[in-house]
Amino acid sequence: MTAYIIRRVLWGILLLFLVSLLTFLFFYIFPAANPAQLRAGRNASPAIIAYITKELGLNKPVYTQFFDYMKGIVLHFNFGYSYYSGASVIGLIGNRLPATLSLTVGAVLLWLLMGIPVGVISAVRRRSAVDRTAMGTALLFVSMPVYWLGLIVLFLFASDIGKFPILPGASSYVGLTVSPTKWFTSLLLPWFVLAATEAAIYSRLLRGSLIEVMGEDYIRTARAKGLPERRVVWHHGVRSAITPVITVLGLDIGALLGGAVLVETVFDIPGIGRLNYDAILHSDIPIVQGTVLLAAMFIVVANIVVDIAYAYLDPRVRYS
Amino acid sequence: MRTFARSAVIAVAAVVLAVAAAACGSSSSSSGSATATIPLKAGENPSSEVLYGKKSGGTLTAYSSIDFEHLDPGQTYFALDYIVVPNITQRPLFTYPPNSTTQLVPDLATEIPTIANGGITDGGKTVTVHIQPNVRFSPPVNRAVTSADVAYGIERGANPNVANPYFAGYFGSASPSPLEGAESAKYAGGPIPGIQTPNSTTIVFHMTKPGSTTLINALSLATSSPVPESFAGPLDKHSPTTYGSQYLVATGPYMIQANNTTGQFAGIGYQTGKSLTLVRNPNWSASTYTSAYRPPAYLNQINVKIGGDATVAGLQVLKGSDSVQLDGATHTNVKLAYQSYPAQMTITPGVGTWYAALDNAHGVFTNVNLRKAFWAQLDRAAIVKVTGGPLVGEPMTHFIYPGNAGFLQAGGYPGPQVDYNKDVNGNHTVACKYMKLAGYPSCTYTGSQTVQVVGGTNGDFPAWTQVVNSGLQALGFHTHVSLVDQSVLYAKYCGVPKQEIDVCPNVGWIRDFADPLSILYVPFYGPAIVPTNNSNWGQVNIPQVNSAMEQAALVVDPAARAQAWANVDKLLVDYAVAAPEYFSNQPELMSSDVAGVNDQWNQGSWDFAFTSLKNP
Repeated sequence: MTAYIIRRVLWGILLLFLVSLLTFLFFYIFPAANPAQLRAGRNASPAIIAYITKELGLNKPVYTQFFDYMKGIVLHFNFGYSYYSGASVIGLIGNRLPATLSLTVGAVLLWLLMGIPVGVISAVRRRSAVDRTAMGTALLFVSMPVYWLGLIVLFLFASDIGKFPILPGASSYVGLTVSPTKWFTSLLLPWFVLAATEAAIYSRLLRGSLIEVMGEDYIRTARAKGLPERRVVWHHGVRSAITPVITVLGLDIGALLGGAVLVETVFDIPGIGRLNYDAILHSDIPIVQGTVLLAAMFIVVANIVVDIAYAYLDPRVRYS
Repeated sequence: MRTFARSAVIAVAAVVLAVAAAACGSSSSSSGSATATIPLKAGENPSSEVLYGKKSGGTLTAYSSIDFEHLDPGQTYFALDYIVVPNITQRPLFTYPPNSTTQLVPDLATEIPTIANGGITDGGKTVTVHIQPNVRFSPPVNRAVTSADVAYGIERGANPNVANPYFAGYFGSASPSPLEGAESAKYAGGPIPGIQTPNSTTIVFHMTKPGSTTLINALSLATSSPVPESFAGPLDKHSPTTYGSQYLVATGPYMIQANNTTGQFAGIGYQTGKSLTLVRNPNWSASTYTSAYRPPAYLNQINVKIGGDATVAGLQVLKGSDSVQLDGATHTNVKLAYQSYPAQMTITPGVGTWYAALDNAHGVFTNVNLRKAFWAQLDRAAIVKVTGGPLVGEPMTHFIYPGNAGFLQAGGYPGPQVDYNKDVNGNHTVACKYMKLAGYPSCTYTGSQTVQVVGGTNGDFPAWTQVVNSGLQALGFHTHVSLVDQSVLYAKYCGVPKQEIDVCPNVGWIRDFADPLSILYVPFYGPAIVPTNNSNWGQVNIPQVNSAMEQAALVVDPAARAQAWANVDKLLVDYAVAAPEYFSNQPELMSSDVAGVNDQWNQGSWDFAFTSLKNP
């Protein structure tokens, strides 16, 4: 197992290197505009543009720029500085990460709490009214764009603009350390919006997987041994059927930590997604590179964790 | 001469923020506006712009879905930045009262220089400005402002670490009236021989040409605000400077909340992408103004919330209290406000122009008759509709827009009475006439060239581009339409002459100050064409126009100057250098308990120094 983990970590590092290389080349080859020109402003003289180009190192060969960039990351954990404000990218990310973490952790818990029971019940009571209602509802939520659902929820339930003002709405986010109560209540609506669509996907995924597993021979054997149905379903069925769900969960957590742009925008939560979005609008390449690399890192780490979790969840899985 | 950053805002204003349903009623006016009072539309602008006698105190919340770009007066150029920098946290030499678009008044200065008061001498080549004696910087500098601080504020604009976007255009190599010693393109900061400070309250500007009018107007821009070299000098050695991004001192009635010992505001009063907090400047005094302009500074504090969805923010403002929206109103909110909250919406006319830039230097539109044919064919009324209807714009008929000197002289709202300009709905018969004159007797373009059209993807730009494309196709042009983000549109296509884009349908312009020079000079003056970051999108380079501009730039008498620039405007219409689209208006939203005051000179944005709460 240890060798496997080391091997996965090394592959992860290689993957991150490739992501950073691709990101760098993408912005070098297809830049929206010359960053020096953008920073200098429209009327800037050629002399000023040339000076800024030199200051940003944009006059160096692309491989030198990439080498400098990677050297900064590896040796100093320095992801560079914003072309516009000169602020440290890692500082900006660190400033935004708590909000994104708050959003992700709560939403994941909520959608697992909703999605797994619904998926199990639908699978166990297949083709019943409960199953059809649950899957119909799930289909409805899956079909709703997150941005749209966020706006609808705000228009219905936000305390300032909602028809039924019961929960804090947009721009209400405060940090956990500032006020735990306000932090919790300000995130309830965003958590619900994120969880609603994801729970729907997870319940459908688990239902399909569990229906297939429940037809397996070892489930029949378990029943033949006289085990209670609840134990058959949860201990033998769900434990095996949940593997694909865990795979998707790893990817989803990684992606969310990389920034839930739409939800952060609708609810005005200052997270990584907003930072990335604003940086893209300004062609602030160092920030975009930093946030993309961060998202990739989260996905890689989440996948390693997921792979390790397989071994514990599914007895059939063994790593050599 | 409004450049990229601020012209980008007009896009935001018209695209993201603008507009109501066409059913909201017509607002067109056939009469031209007087230059000092633009024709606010009765019933549509509830703000009576009463400036004084209101209640003091309270905290205002301001919502903005977009972030500030530069809070350093030497860098500020974005319209959103202008809401918090000049007059609020900084004091430029001159400014405009909120209720005027043209009346230049002293802010830090004691009076407007004229020939009569000895402020303009040497045939218009020397301008002398006296500043108020007891203005003090905010902590930690605390000392009184001197003329040397004003000089440093301007000089540092040429420092590449500051990179003021308009230094070259108004003070340096690309200016119609450069300062002595700054006229070389190689000048990169440091003392300018053309700026002298004989005593602590006097600053003298020497130019190489008699350009006093342009210079005095340019001194209303934020870069004429004083900057203490002892404090900012070391910060300006960083690339980019950390003055304005980490540290700052104020001279205006408000300051960004900061550490009073170090002046650091980043992470304290300003969180990038999150919030900005303005508090009272403890060293500010209302007695350091003239009676022509004395901000009452009613509010105790202004909290700007940055980010989020503009429609949601607009609803929070309309249904909430003590709040305004800074980045304008979205379509749905303008409609909602017009129907349900009319007293909470202001509409400021005359905030800029939009036109389709036609490449005068390459391709089919080098032919002036083809340009006139397209002008005649283009349905300007349809463009107004797709961008939100008559509340947010009126069909454009010439290039100097309402509220500016020269607008009336150039034809007012109806514009010059040339046949290709008369019908804002598009007139194929007139277009046909010019197609024939261009050598296409069938009224259809039969040449082999494909017309390259690059429009924006933002907001209404795609639909708007479609109207332009329909006009082109109606004349038989084969078109290739590309849609890109507006910043890319400027930075990679329409602002790069060698790309030779035939039609840029979504380009806009906002003036820098109340002088028609700042509307026409950069977009249409041939020698102003540069290889990148070009704002003369149509590459207009007509000797007769260039000459007329050079002469108009030197006219001092206001009436004669307005007429001179109106003549330039008429020349531009005669040459049909671009296809006009619309004059834009700006809707703004406030809560019912806010007594909002709009800066009519700054696209109708809220003026924090005059806005107050009804029940603080």
